[in-house]
Amino acid sequence: MGDKPTVFYFRMMNYFKKIIYSILVIFVIVSCSSDNEDEIDQVPQFDRSSILKNYADNIIIPRYNDFKAELDNLEIAVNNFTQTPNSSNFDQLHDMWLVTYKKWQYVEMFNIGKAEEIMYFNTINTYPIDEQRIKENISSQKFDLRNSNDWSCQGLSGVDYMLHGVGISKEEVIQQYKDDSNYGNYLKNLLTIMTSNTADIVQDWSTYKSTFIGSSGNSNTSSLNMLTNDFIYYFEKGLRTNKIAIPVGYFSGGNPFPEKTEAYYSSKNSFENVSKVLAKEALTASESLFIGKSSSGSVGASLKTYLDYLHSADVNKDNLSPIIVANFQKAHQALDDLNENFIDQINDDKSKMLNTFDKLQALVVNMKTNMLSILSIQVDYIDADGD
Amino acid sequence: METIYSYLSKKQESTSLALFRLGFGLLMTYSIIRFWLKGWIQMMYIDPSFHFTFYGFEWVTPIGNYTYLLFLVCGLAAFFVAIGYRYYISIIIFFLSFTYIELMDKTTYLNHYYFVSILSFLMIFLPCNSSYSIDSYLKKQSIKFCPRWCVDSIKLLLFIVYFYSGIAKINNDWLFEAQPLKIWLTTGSYDFPLIGSNLMQQEWFHYFMSWGGMFYDLLIPFILIYNRTRILGFVLVIFFHLFTALLFPIGMFPYIMIMSSLIFFSSKTHKKILDFILKPIALRINDIKQIENIKIQKQPLGLFVVCIFFIIQFLFPFRYSLYPGELFWNEQGYRFSWRVMLMEKRGYTTFKVVDSQNENSFYVMNDDFLTEFQERQMSFQPDFILEYAHFLGKHYKSQGLKNIEIYADSYVALNGRISKRFIDPDRDLLKEKRGFKNKDWIIPLNEKINSL
Repeated sequence: MGDKPTVFYFRMMNYFKKIIYSILVIFVIVSCSSDNEDEIDQVPQFDRSSILKNYADNIIIPRYNDFKAELDNLEIAVNNFTQTPNSSNFDQLHDMWLVTYKKWQYVEMFNIGKAEEIMYFNTINTYPIDEQRIKENISSQKFDLRNSNDWSCQGLSGVDYMLHGVGISKEEVIQQYKDDSNYGNYLKNLLTIMTSNTADIVQDWSTYKSTFIGSSGNSNTSSLNMLTNDFIYYFEKGLRTNKIAIPVGYFSGGNPFPEKTEAYYSSKNSFENVSKVLAKEALTASESLFIGKSSSGSVGASLKTYLDYLHSADVNKDNLSPIIVANFQKAHQALDDLNENFIDQINDDKSKMLNTFDKLQALVVNMKTNMLSILSIQVDYIDADGD
Repeated sequence: METIYSYLSKKQESTSLALFRLGFGLLMTYSIIRFWLKGWIQMMYIDPSFHFTFYGFEWVTPIGNYTYLLFLVCGLAAFFVAIGYRYYISIIIFFLSFTYIELMDKTTYLNHYYFVSILSFLMIFLPCNSSYSIDSYLKKQSIKFCPRWCVDSIKLLLFIVYFYSGIAKINNDWLFEAQPLKIWLTTGSYDFPLIGSNLMQQEWFHYFMSWGGMFYDLLIPFILIYNRTRILGFVLVIFFHLFTALLFPIGMFPYIMIMSSLIFFSSKTHKKILDFILKPIALRINDIKQIENIKIQKQPLGLFVVCIFFIIQFLFPFRYSLYPGELFWNEQGYRFSWRVMLMEKRGYTTFKVVDSQNENSFYVMNDDFLTEFQERQMSFQPDFILEYAHFLGKHYKSQGLKNIEIYADSYVALNGRISKRFIDPDRDLLKEKRGFKNKDWIIPLNEKINSL
């Protein structure tokens, strides 16, 4: 048996050489034929990184900057008010809060990179807030806002409570801040953590951007897949479920929970009816991302243009993008029909809220089945084997 | 009768089985380790609070943290199979533990897991430890020959796998729409040396791949069987499987198929490969007495079981024809039939729980009960939808809700078609029984995809 394996080794090497040559030949034939094909039939190839570039440069980063700027203004307003709790400072603070909250609607969906790491959206917009716990935090002055148990005690929803919930009128609220400096102190703490987290994320995007755009593949962890998943997750949970479905009682046997509406205290105590305003901004933000529209109104590469491309390349028969755009229109109309104050809307006529839910649901169905299917993006991050 | 008898008495060198046993055992050991290291045991079997079962196998469920023990046993058994140590016990344990694992949750079903399961069942009846095994080393004797049908049975199983997956590709979507390859290749991001990424965007290439894939599957068993074309066949096998491994996340499947296809070579080649691999310990193998003229054991029982096994294998994939409606849409008789990569199918399914006494209703948040992976699989497969509805029924009844009805609000998109309603929204799924009965609560696709 001694030298047989050596002979065999050479035989095997010959086999392998043949195999490798054959593969090379096949590759060359295939690549030549593809070169020829290029000249005859130019198929414009879609570059995913163009979407990522447009999203990062014209949507995500500017939107974060907008939000950060308003948040910084909000912090100034908070400082002014806590220093001098009076009516005009309160009004300014309230207005700044609403402006900031609106800008927030444009960034909540970007739960990616640093934001994902620090669970950013939970720290800014968890509602309903935990009234009892906030009260304890205020009186004890011992709290750790980085603790996930305190997500329901902070953020813009927390500020809502601090401005509109610690008393049932402006006068009462101002009096609280005059009587007890703990209130002002807690409010300032809420701003500190928000501004510091936001600054971190804005800072991070300056370096993360190239990673984000560079990851232009189609795997579970590449940018477009993660962003699209975040976007749909946000649309389904953050927008449809939290803003509409839960308050109207869709998941609770028709028992409504008006106290679970977004920015509940401002509406409830008649400071300003804001539920619809915020929901409209959120829907506009979602639509803008889908069609690739920046805050300045310019339109670039997006999920929509990608769908248009795939349709033009004959990948699917019916173009999805006009269908989804029409879905957005219907959802806007349904929202327009609602009362400015969702608490009143729920108490007066749930059917309009349910109608809005249906229109948002149609978008969820279209995005989760048709859009993800045509883009072949998996709906979860699981890297399980396929067949 | 005469020819059958003379065929059954034919013999072949047992090296063929030995090499196959070694390759299979090592790949399986590696598969189990890989599965473990990827954290999939935790994610797929321990984390979920609910598991989708196969009809009739509801009793097969994960066993908490002991599931790890199950994988350990399975991995060890695979390794013992590889080295041929207590082969028969090892392959039986491997078959049982692997099959148990696959039956625990059908969310993870893959055709190639099924292939491993039935192949290991077949191997129980093959004397794969006759030579080049620890068993033969310990007994100090190896058996040079085995019945030829033993080797051929592995070839036959491979033939079925390839040929049937080729037949499954003969359908309108695959051949005339190049779906779902068109979607996957256009949206995938591939950048290969020489061919680049542009090729994948070309429509002709999608058709080329579809038709090529079909012909490959239908013809490769024949190309491998004939001496003259065998090397070409094996080159094709390597090329095809490595190419698909680059294109799609299909795990171990390509390597299992490449290894298995070696069985088509002659026993001489197998012996050379074995001697080459085992060169370092070749001396010790030389100590083993080789029994040459042993009469081939007839193993009538084994032969009988193997025959039944193959009759089932030949017929089972055609059970779909007993059901009305479109196979790809209804998926009645879809699994266990070598239908691979045929569908880009997505669903969105939610459930409404209705109290029939006061007409109160609410919707279920699926992520309260299912992982994302389970929800994805549940959303487009009718048997999952029904089983989950029944689970929800039980759950809410245990919460004190009596007289409830459960309705599905379900939409499915298949191979580039716009999604449409999938389940009859007016049918109370709690009234529908699990089983093999036609699921007439699926809204038909009203299109013909499967022409065979």
